[in-house]
Amino acid sequence: MIAHILSYTFSADRDRQSIANLCISDALISAQKHFPQSSPINRIMTTKLKRKLENIGIDVRSNSTRLTENFCLIGTPLPPLEKSKDTGEFVPLWKQDVFLPLTLVVRDEKGRRRLHGAFTGGFSAGYFNTVGSKEGWTPATFISSRADRAKAKQARPEDFMDEEDIAELKESRKLVDTTEEHDMFADTRAELASRGGGAGAEKDSMAATLQSLLPAAKDSIGARLLKKMGWKAGQGIGPRITYQQLRAQEGNPIQPNEPIDEEATKHLYAPRDTRVAFIPKKDNSFGLGYAPGDGLTNLVHGGAGSGARGSGAGINVESGPNISAGFGLGALNEAEDDDIDVYDRSGGGSKMHRHMAYDAGEEDETDDHIVIGPRFPAKPTSQNVVGSGTFKDGRPVASGFVVSEVPLIENRWFPLPEIPKGWVPDPRRVWAKDPSTATKQEGGPSNLPLPSSGAPDRRPWIKSKTADERGAMLGETPLPSAPRSVFDYLSQKDKDRLKNMGASIASGTAFPKTAPQPQMNSSVDIPTLTPQIAQAAMKGFQPFSKDPEKHARYTVYLQSQSTPDTAPALRPMPGQSPDEFNKELADYVKSAQIFKPVSGAMASRFASSATVEVVGVQHPGLYQPTQEDYAKIDVAKNEDKKKEEEEDPKKHAARLNMFGHLTREEKVWLPARLLLKRFGVRDPYPDGVPGEEPPTSSASTSAAKNDAWQTEVLKVAPELTIPSSTDITSGSSSKPLQRDLANIGLGDDEEQGKDTLTYERPAMDIFKAIFASDDEDSEDDGDEEEVVVKGKEEPIGDNDEEPLTEPPAATSAPPISQHLATTTTTTTSLTTYEPAVNKENTGKVDLSTFKPTFVPLSERGDKKRGEDKERRDKKTNKKKKGKIVVSFDVEEDGNEASLGSPTVVKSHKKERPPKRIKDKAVDAELEDESMWVEKPPPEVVKDLVLPMLTDPVPEDITSTHPRGRKRAVDFI
Amino acid sequence: MSFRGPPPLPRSLHTTLSTHTGPVHVARYAKGAAKYLLTGGQDRTIRLWNPNLGTEIKVYKGHGYEVLSITISPDNAKIASSGGDRSVFLWDVATGNAIRRIPGHLARINAVEFNEDASVVASGSYDSTVKLWDLRAQNRQPIQTLDEARDAIQTLFVGSTCIMSGSVDGHVHPVTSVLPTSDAQTYLIQSLNSTIILMDAENGKLLNSFKGHTNNLYRSRACFGHAEASVISGDEDGRIWAWDLVEGSPLAPNPPPKVHDKLITWIEHHPKEGNEMVTASSDGTVKVWKTPDNTDS
Repeated sequence: MIAHILSYTFSADRDRQSIANLCISDALISAQKHFPQSSPINRIMTTKLKRKLENIGIDVRSNSTRLTENFCLIGTPLPPLEKSKDTGEFVPLWKQDVFLPLTLVVRDEKGRRRLHGAFTGGFSAGYFNTVGSKEGWTPATFISSRADRAKAKQARPEDFMDEEDIAELKESRKLVDTTEEHDMFADTRAELASRGGGAGAEKDSMAATLQSLLPAAKDSIGARLLKKMGWKAGQGIGPRITYQQLRAQEGNPIQPNEPIDEEATKHLYAPRDTRVAFIPKKDNSFGLGYAPGDGLTNLVHGGAGSGARGSGAGINVESGPNISAGFGLGALNEAEDDDIDVYDRSGGGSKMHRHMAYDAGEEDETDDHIVIGPRFPAKPTSQNVVGSGTFKDGRPVASGFVVSEVPLIENRWFPLPEIPKGWVPDPRRVWAKDPSTATKQEGGPSNLPLPSSGAPDRRPWIKSKTADERGAMLGETPLPSAPRSVFDYLSQKDKDRLKNMGASIASGTAFPKTAPQPQMNSSVDIPTLTPQIAQAAMKGFQPFSKDPEKHARYTVYLQSQSTPDTAPALRPMPGQSPDEFNKELADYVKSAQIFKPVSGAMASRFASSATVEVVGVQHPGLYQPTQEDYAKIDVAKNEDKKKEEEEDPKKHAARLNMFGHLTREEKVWLPARLLLKRFGVRDPYPDGVPGEEPPTSSASTSAAKNDAWQTEVLKVAPELTIPSSTDITSGSSSKPLQRDLANIGLGDDEEQGKDTLTYERPAMDIFKAIFASDDEDSEDDGDEEEVVVKGKEEPIGDNDEEPLTEPPAATSAPPISQHLATTTTTTTSLTTYEPAVNKENTGKVDLSTFKPTFVPLSERGDKKRGEDKERRDKKTNKKKKGKIVVSFDVEEDGNEASLGSPTVVKSHKKERPPKRIKDKAVDAELEDESMWVEKPPPEVVKDLVLPMLTDPVPEDITSTHPRGRKRAVDFI
Repeated sequence: MSFRGPPPLPRSLHTTLSTHTGPVHVARYAKGAAKYLLTGGQDRTIRLWNPNLGTEIKVYKGHGYEVLSITISPDNAKIASSGGDRSVFLWDVATGNAIRRIPGHLARINAVEFNEDASVVASGSYDSTVKLWDLRAQNRQPIQTLDEARDAIQTLFVGSTCIMSGSVDGHVHPVTSVLPTSDAQTYLIQSLNSTIILMDAENGKLLNSFKGHTNNLYRSRACFGHAEASVISGDEDGRIWAWDLVEGSPLAPNPPPKVHDKLITWIEHHPKEGNEMVTASSDGTVKVWKTPDNTDS
């Protein structure tokens, strides 16, 4: 059997077995190396398996050689040996996206899948992915272009481009390619070269050859445009001119007596190529034409010829050291020391140019010998000798300095004009001369044009004169302009009135007079407040409460204002200037007006908050505790100590090494059940710890659990027994008197919600009986049904095929019995369900001897009524209790009883085969006043039936032919 | 005279195991014949040694922080270790692989102990809890959490029916090691007031106290000498102290010589043989001490 198991296990991974075994043996070897005493079998074979084998009866030890051959896989299994299928195999479309690694899927920058279509086996695009529609790409429907061929738009390449391509296209359509290199002066240079002398070019044949190898420099876009317009290199720009004009431009106009070339006059000529006049920007404040001499700095940095100096541009922009070209130098990078080309020797001003073989000979170059190979040491020129050596007068030059070869031109200075004696600068006089400025001065000092001494205003007209003024100066008649003010529309009377009002306000008593202008007064002027305001301000917020001195003065001032007659007026402090005093008073007035409390009704709505600022007295300087402080600290420490000692006798005991009961606390600890199991210890508190709360969730014990479980069971048990002991008529469960329809669900119902809380899930069979479909039923408990069905009443179901073997006469009695039976046997499960006969008739029902009994109609009717009532009661009962077994049988029973309609029976009757009808007839005969109100059976049938009348319904029929639906079992 | 007192401490240096870089926090003898030694240190490794030969057999790497405690299963197949990385590591001794990592503590784990059959591992942590982990089942939750301690657990002992933990809280000074005698009648407590006390397990009475050494700052483990006749402990000066268990008096030499450069973090006497002992120190060395053969015979 083991062999079988093993082989079975291995068959799954036959190809991996050997490898796994190898691994295991490796592990074994290493294990044995370190721990020779530990047995490898023990480790590898699981204890579970061992136990199993021992149970089977196999000696593990003796069979160990075979058993060591284990089938536990250790480690990661190797991939299967046979190669998986070829990678080029067709994968269904829906799989492709999933199984393609992300890197293989072409996606655009937005993460959309690219390359649908042919690359991935069809157009899978759709909606967001997308060729525009939810369905993806759909072929266009055929549209005949016959009618509107003219309208048919020619497809452009752009139609097939996506945004990337279009962006590229746009890029290519840019007018100027920013990446291209332009040589703005290529043509000019060529012209110059050709003009300057072909000899030079020929002479330097090597350079020319090398230059020809270089790609021709491209013209700038401007040059190209000009060329397209007919311009040629070397020509001037502009409309073509006549020969005469050309001559005039060239500077030798045609003399009147000069013979004119006929041919020449016939043509038009391009204008002369003249240099565009370059007017340098004037950025100094010297007079026009004044050339300041070069400063020493300019001279040293040098290189600037006198021409540049002449143009007033002492600005010889220093180009800085050459930066070595190479990687890592972006446009934004600043040149650092490392980037400077250490091999660059073309320093400004010096004559140490590099001479390369391909350097075209520059005309201004004095030495034009080409050096190939190692350089000669620079020849010391005479200049250098002089410069480093001596001045011209023979004095030696300090080392490190060079004598300038160009003499330093000093700035020319012009003598100052003579200042007349006794002249005193008096700008007012100047302003007075100008009437316009004079008027402005009157208007206010702020409008005064500031006499700027440093930089003279370059645009003085803007400030000095308005358009009107200029017009006046020029003698223009002023334009009729709109009136400028509202006042212009007012009548003279109104103006006067307004003026009066303004005057009254200015001197008014209604408003407190603010402090007068400081520059005007030098005397103390106490502003007045109305007494109301002053009084209110005294009650309100005190703004200077932090500065007691100021606060006092403020109060004094307010008092003086509130009762001007009695209170003394505020006097300036000693040493306080009148200005300061006035300012102080102005502050007081302002704050009094601001902080006066709201009056009247509004005031009652607010309560001023009491802010108490408790600020400890701050002593400046270092904190130096005094003796008192030390004493305080000591006291505090002592107190702490005392407290500690009082608090903790244990600690005290520990300190004194008095270990024992004082220092020991004992608590009951409940170990977890699993822990006990693992430690192999019996539960010390199997019944729970007396007087102890059950431990926390982490330390929950089995004991407590067990206990709880048992009590639960006990709790449940009586409830389970309740239904069996229930008196049917009482219709209540445990407390029949308290629980009836009247008080259920009310506040004083003690049982309220109890059943939901103590709900026990009933057995599965019950659920099955209730909810399982009939088919299942028939399969599941067919044989049980056979027994069960015996005593059942005839269910009048909707199933028409079912044969009704039970004589209809029996229908009257069994419903009652059935009903009673259900109630009495509710606790028993359905499998043992035993329908009993009428309670009144029999105590116990023996299946073999059971016969349905017939009850007279009158009696039955009573019973039925009572029974119906009971049933209703019980239904409510059932709902209440939720523990009574409910089954379909009962329900059907109830339905049937309440239905009792003849129509149903009719339908039965129709379907019934004649044999059954016979039974029916018996029934009809027996109970002519039965509830079944139906047609009398046909005569023929009656005759057939009659002989049967005398016989009671044979027992074997009822027993062998179960009523109700026919089950599969019945046919077996 | 010599046979009346406890046997002399093995005081001659046998080997020095010095491949640890940084302090060595723990050194434990293997179970059984105890032919091997396991040490764990600040360098995040656990090392397996043959103390007799002084050779390093294996290094267990996997801890992300210092290793503070090691425990060895009775069959020597597994070890559990803990330290700064808040989880207990379970190692397979032979392969050197970490079989299991048991997270759950909120702070570093100072002590870890197997129970007698290594079916439960207890871990005591700085988060003041002792957690008991089931090793039989794959349950991730602890079997039980003992959170009675009010401060960091420093030491643990798990016996067959008892679990003892030493914590920084309490009335005695911080307890750094707890070790019961084999009869479980008394236990030895090392606390940070330079005192080792022997307590009665029954009623918590003080039976004896051993003083003389200095141990005020660091965890240092005290243990019993051979046959539990003496108490030995290292101190913060690098000396190995020994006391007579019954008399409580320091054994000669008093004061003992300084044998480690720094404090001795762990001292463990060989469980079987009387002439061997090991000390781990924060100077990065583990020293194996033996009694010279001539005195042994």
